[in-house]
Amino acid sequence: MTELLQNLIDGLGRGSIYALLALGVAVIFGVMHLLNFAHGELITVSGYVAFWTISEGWSWYLVTPVIIGTAIVTSLVIERVAFSRVRGSSDFTLLLTSFGVHFVVSAIFLLYVSASVKTFSEPGWVANTFPIGSLNIEVYDAVVIGVTLVTLLATSWLIQRTMFGLALRAAAADFDTARLMGVRSDTVIRGAFALSGLLAGIAGVFWLMRSGHTTPTVGITPMLKGVLAALIGGLGSLRGAVLGGIVLGLAEVLLRSRLPDSVASLTEGFVFLMIALLFIFRPQGLIRVAHAERV
Amino acid sequence: MKLKFKFLIALLAVFALAVSACGNDDDDGGATSAPDGAEVDINAVLAADLNNCEDAPTGDPIRVGMAMDFSDVVGFVDIPGSKLVPFIAEKANCIGGIFGSPVEVRVAEVGDDAVLATQELLDWGAHFLIGPPFADFALPILQTTEGQVPLFVAASTEPTLADASNNSYLVTFDDHGMSGAAAQWAWDQGITRAIVFTEGEGIPYTGVNPDAFIAKFEELGGDVVSVQTYVWAADTDFSAQVNEIAGISQNNEVVFSAALGFQVTALRGQLEGQGLDGLTYIGTDALDATGIQFEDNNEGIAHTPHTSISPGDRIDTMLADYEATKGEALESRGFMALYVDSMFLGIQGILDCGCTNPADIGAAVAQIEGFQGLTGEITFAGTNGIPPKAVPINRIVDGVDTLVATIG
Repeated sequence: MTELLQNLIDGLGRGSIYALLALGVAVIFGVMHLLNFAHGELITVSGYVAFWTISEGWSWYLVTPVIIGTAIVTSLVIERVAFSRVRGSSDFTLLLTSFGVHFVVSAIFLLYVSASVKTFSEPGWVANTFPIGSLNIEVYDAVVIGVTLVTLLATSWLIQRTMFGLALRAAAADFDTARLMGVRSDTVIRGAFALSGLLAGIAGVFWLMRSGHTTPTVGITPMLKGVLAALIGGLGSLRGAVLGGIVLGLAEVLLRSRLPDSVASLTEGFVFLMIALLFIFRPQGLIRVAHAERV
Repeated sequence: MKLKFKFLIALLAVFALAVSACGNDDDDGGATSAPDGAEVDINAVLAADLNNCEDAPTGDPIRVGMAMDFSDVVGFVDIPGSKLVPFIAEKANCIGGIFGSPVEVRVAEVGDDAVLATQELLDWGAHFLIGPPFADFALPILQTTEGQVPLFVAASTEPTLADASNNSYLVTFDDHGMSGAAAQWAWDQGITRAIVFTEGEGIPYTGVNPDAFIAKFEELGGDVVSVQTYVWAADTDFSAQVNEIAGISQNNEVVFSAALGFQVTALRGQLEGQGLDGLTYIGTDALDATGIQFEDNNEGIAHTPHTSISPGDRIDTMLADYEATKGEALESRGFMALYVDSMFLGIQGILDCGCTNPADIGAAVAQIEGFQGLTGEITFAGTNGIPPKAVPINRIVDGVDTLVATIG
């Protein structure tokens, strides 16, 4: 029982990061109908910024806002340089563009920085634990879960209670009608990319704190997790994205812990099998999104 | 008149054939003017002063083909390796070449088509090839050469890539030698219990190394108390594994994996967070690749580099020389000498056979014995292409990467 509880907390910690990533993916999908495979590049760029700043002796307290700011700026730059050029194009064009952005960013770091792994110090408290009864809770997990909760509440407030949120929801429901009603498309789309960058930046801080390294392709795994979580939750649904992230995190930890040793190395395979089964029986994901076609 | 014309044509044809035969790179005539039993003078090459060179060598060139991968998979070694080898060739030419023969190096990027890159090098007339580690890249090269051109898989420890009958050679120990040595070292420390991290039995590198460690450790009488799985080069959250280990550890085990440096330190941090601070950590050359010496929380972690570089030794001097000349420090320092040794081994094959036919060079390479390379003594004679080299064990002692043992 203790181990199960421990696993649940670990899974929640992992799932919280996935939830933040998935939420960023879902926000962009909602507005542009774009499944953004370049989302991981926000973490790649942030990773190199973390490497350079920490190498210069910056503390994580200073590096954290820099990483978040980097992710927001990178997200806006990608929108301006790549996606604004193909706005209104088919979903397939948008998808290919996002792949293109991913490859270009990776290649830039590969050619002009290094193919080698660049490591940096993690904060000293990352591996610390504190006891609650028979449980040993990692400080990291507690911080991740807490910050994610606050971030999700703030995001919810932003979307539900502000004019920007209203415009975002209107655009997600029916972009053309929203524009006819006076919603400025540029503002909404750039706002969505900024919000997506903010969420990726927060997730990136935790991701990089734990991993302590970066490479030209470091963003692939978080991108895949974010996209998967968004798909599990129901693409386009913000609540679904959060739910999908938590489910994915819990599934990974519980499967790795509970599977017999002989097949434990197939954990990722079992996760994908479960996702495949989910899509067979519930292709719309955990939460159905019901709204008109977007542009 | 007709007869005269036919005679003229025949004469021209004979002349053309004679000329083409004389110019054929595949003949068995000597490429160099080296005497029998000549050896590459590595020290003389390394000592060459590029600001004060002898006359350019005028003999038949020795052609070194490098099929290299510049992606993020093995670019960390192949990119610096493909910079260093031409530099060393430049130095060799600076002292008059290898017995009068200039050394030419051509680098072809494997990209997503190793066959095309290899074909380019073969068409150019490479006498031997230096290839990238990992079967994904090296096997297409071998399929293209069909065993007719020697291939040195410079930075690889993958046993399946060594096949002397197919002219394919490792330049260092293989996974079995490396991880067996790690097990031996742990056992020599008095450690009798082991925790092993693997990607899965039989998986190249990430599974074969743990397999080899387990086999050797159990052969010595040790007890492998836990085998955990993880995703190589990706996982840094080991919460599930740590929970399980915390339940069985006596806080005195050796933890072995082929994981990268940032993974081992992350794992260690999480295990220590659970109070397991008495464990000993040892890994493979992957720790050298990702620079465990530059990580935080690395004190006491052991690994198996390909060569232990000391300040001022030949390798250190060579790398410093490159940096001073080219204005750029090379990464993956511990692997660099393997690339240079690969070039010198190929050249030694040419000197031994006095030939330029790649297949004959390969036959000569297979008989190399006691070659004194930068990374130690290398012998291919009587092997399947895996030189029986001693394995250095380095450990971080007081923050310094220190040679603490040599196994084998």
